[in-house]
Amino acid sequence: MSEVLLLLVGLFLPLFPLSMVFNEVFQRIRVASLRVVLLLIWPQIGVVIAHTAGVEIPSWLIFWALATAALYGFRALALREVGLWTSFIATSAWTILWLTVDSRADLAQLAVYALALSAPLALLALLSGELEKRFGAAYTGLYGGLALSLPRLSGVLVVVILAIVATPLFPGFVVMMAAIIESSSQSFIAAVTVAMIWLLWSWAGARLLQGIIVGPAQEEATADISVNSTWVYAAVLILLVVSGIYSIGSL
Amino acid sequence: MEQLLIILVPALPLLSALVNHLASGQLGQRVAKLSIALAVLTFVIAAVLLAQAMAGNDSNQVALGSTWGILLADPLSTLMGLLIAGISLIVRIYSVRYMIEERGYGRFFMLLDLMTATLLIMVAAGDLLTLIIAWHLVGVLLYFLLGFDSRSKTAYRYAFWTLITYRIGDIALVLAAALLFHAFGTWTLTDIFAQITENPGAHRYFGFALEELVGILLAIAAFARSAQFFLHTWLPYSMDGPTPVSALMHAGIVNAGGFLINRFATVFIHTDSVMHLLFAVGLITAIIGSVLMLTQNDIKKALGYSTMGQMGFMIMECGVGAFSLAIYHLIAHGLFKGTLFLGAGTVINEARKSDGVPKDKLYTFVVEHRIAKRQQPWLLMAGITLVVPIIILFFAHWLVAQDFFQKQGAIVLLFFGWVTGAQLLFTTYRMGAQNIWRLVGVIILSFAIIVLGYALISHAFDLFLYPDPQFSSQIHSAAGIDVFWFDVLVVLTTAVIVGGWLLKYYSEQNRLPGQDKIGQLWTSFYALVSREFYMIDIYARLTRMLLKAAARLNILLRWR
Repeated sequence: MSEVLLLLVGLFLPLFPLSMVFNEVFQRIRVASLRVVLLLIWPQIGVVIAHTAGVEIPSWLIFWALATAALYGFRALALREVGLWTSFIATSAWTILWLTVDSRADLAQLAVYALALSAPLALLALLSGELEKRFGAAYTGLYGGLALSLPRLSGVLVVVILAIVATPLFPGFVVMMAAIIESSSQSFIAAVTVAMIWLLWSWAGARLLQGIIVGPAQEEATADISVNSTWVYAAVLILLVVSGIYSIGSL
Repeated sequence: MEQLLIILVPALPLLSALVNHLASGQLGQRVAKLSIALAVLTFVIAAVLLAQAMAGNDSNQVALGSTWGILLADPLSTLMGLLIAGISLIVRIYSVRYMIEERGYGRFFMLLDLMTATLLIMVAAGDLLTLIIAWHLVGVLLYFLLGFDSRSKTAYRYAFWTLITYRIGDIALVLAAALLFHAFGTWTLTDIFAQITENPGAHRYFGFALEELVGILLAIAAFARSAQFFLHTWLPYSMDGPTPVSALMHAGIVNAGGFLINRFATVFIHTDSVMHLLFAVGLITAIIGSVLMLTQNDIKKALGYSTMGQMGFMIMECGVGAFSLAIYHLIAHGLFKGTLFLGAGTVINEARKSDGVPKDKLYTFVVEHRIAKRQQPWLLMAGITLVVPIIILFFAHWLVAQDFFQKQGAIVLLFFGWVTGAQLLFTTYRMGAQNIWRLVGVIILSFAIIVLGYALISHAFDLFLYPDPQFSSQIHSAAGIDVFWFDVLVVLTTAVIVGGWLLKYYSEQNRLPGQDKIGQLWTSFYALVSREFYMIDIYARLTRMLLKAAARLNILLRWR
């Protein structure tokens, strides 16, 4: 029974090769709002199963999770399609949750951790939809220079990427710190691996940003996102920062 | 009242950034005035806090949260706070006109304000979490400041190098913090330091003493931030950013490594080999940075490598236990390098019209490498070269601390001072001058003033930053090695240097066999230096290989 439960957790807090299922599903869905729902719900299912089942997680599985996170973080470096990038980083991020999932952990806290990692990715899925609407594809290196031609969208994109790569004050930072603290008590190699995965995210995030916002302005005029949409994005991001600041105290 | 001042120092630039962001449309170019007004106020408050610390007031702190958000007002934080507030104020005044024609004028000032606030929080951080957050955010903000011109792909490329190197340092700091938290169950620095002092060596992790492991991680964090060898390539290439950013970076950001080592002095004094690592890496960086600086024909890149050399020297000073001297060094370097960067544009502009260098004997000697035909007796000059600097150095050190010769660190720094002074006199011997003795006299006088000033000021810094003589002596002890081997090393190095000088004196008057071969070797070395030891090429190739491997993996796994 516990093996079946672990497999289920491995599907929703995706461990390689089960992670391919999530990536397949995510890439088949082309509607941004559905992608948002998927990003928000998928890891929550994993967290709930892991917690309610109360299964003891063997240490080799933790290393497998870290290997999966490293694999997807590394593979994200070479990606140019924003949708694929989102699903790979989501896979990499959610597997980090294996470090914090144990029978002692509080379910609410685990759910918040999962949400902390998913929420900025959900925002990126929406922004990716905006890019597809305007250019037919959300692709780095294809158009570039959006900082000048679409300043509002670019501004939001920059902050969303910062949130995804767990920049301090965003809740992702708290999750990464918690994972490093947890792993450093057991194995220094595990802590270093988590830290290296964090580094890979930063690298992948910078490559994504540079491929979209940097460069000379577009010759053809394209409509930016509306002021109201910008305020909505800003409100969500401010909420994330406030929750991040609040939860730093829990470390 | 003092607690309010502690909060105001970082809060004012934060407020300025917020107002700039929200009201830049209405304020237009007046954002600069607002930013400068609040920067002046920040500077004044930072000066008041430093004055209070110098007056002997006890260290104070404010806690904004239960476990984090602690801001300190101790000698180190107030001194660094004033430096940062001062330099960022100058940079902002300079930027008012320099950036006027750039797009995103308001955004630039907002980023400068945010950077200033973050740096001020970093130096005042009284807990590990606040320190990590500020340390990390400095890298992120610097990335956007260096890549301020979003049209420039080159600027972003090099900004990325900076970001990724800084992230390596962040990771080391985070790991060090996690280990300290595990061992002591608190994030507060004063509590951690008190527990280490009370019971050093009580914790072991993975076969290492906690202090040793944490010391190594902190050293890596300092190396990344202060562009030490292997982690230096970002520094000379980050010149595509606006000049005010270069000035701020070289004067107030890159020297954070020295600050970090000083902040964690309590950890470093309980380590066995970390101080030696600091010395070795600092020495290699100082030599390589200086050599690379001499081969550059681009003034800003030369300044970049000069900073690398200076940072190497700063880390090396920490390695010999001269912690407070490193702080003095980073302040002095910050001021002169900031001035050089802000003046670089004018110099380049003037040089386009005329190089302004008079074609006198100094020019023919330095630029054309023409050695004077008529030289003074070499034995007499060699004697002066060897003896005079050492007398001045010993006298200056004896003046501030009679027992200096018991500290190995002081001897090592004396040694460097002696080599520098002697090299200057040695060079003079080969230069044509109307009155060589007058020139030598002026050099000796200047050298004496510099050495005396350096010794007196660094002694004053020592008394201010480390008033407890026992702690100060512990720092020097941690940096020391076995006396026998230390003496052997000093004698050997002295013999090599003096031998080299004597050989050079002799060879200029008598041709030595095999000089052609030495010339060829020298040319090969120059070729190696001109390619910057192929470090950039190696890193670029490694990056391409990694990206290719990632792409291949994606194809292999069918993008799932």
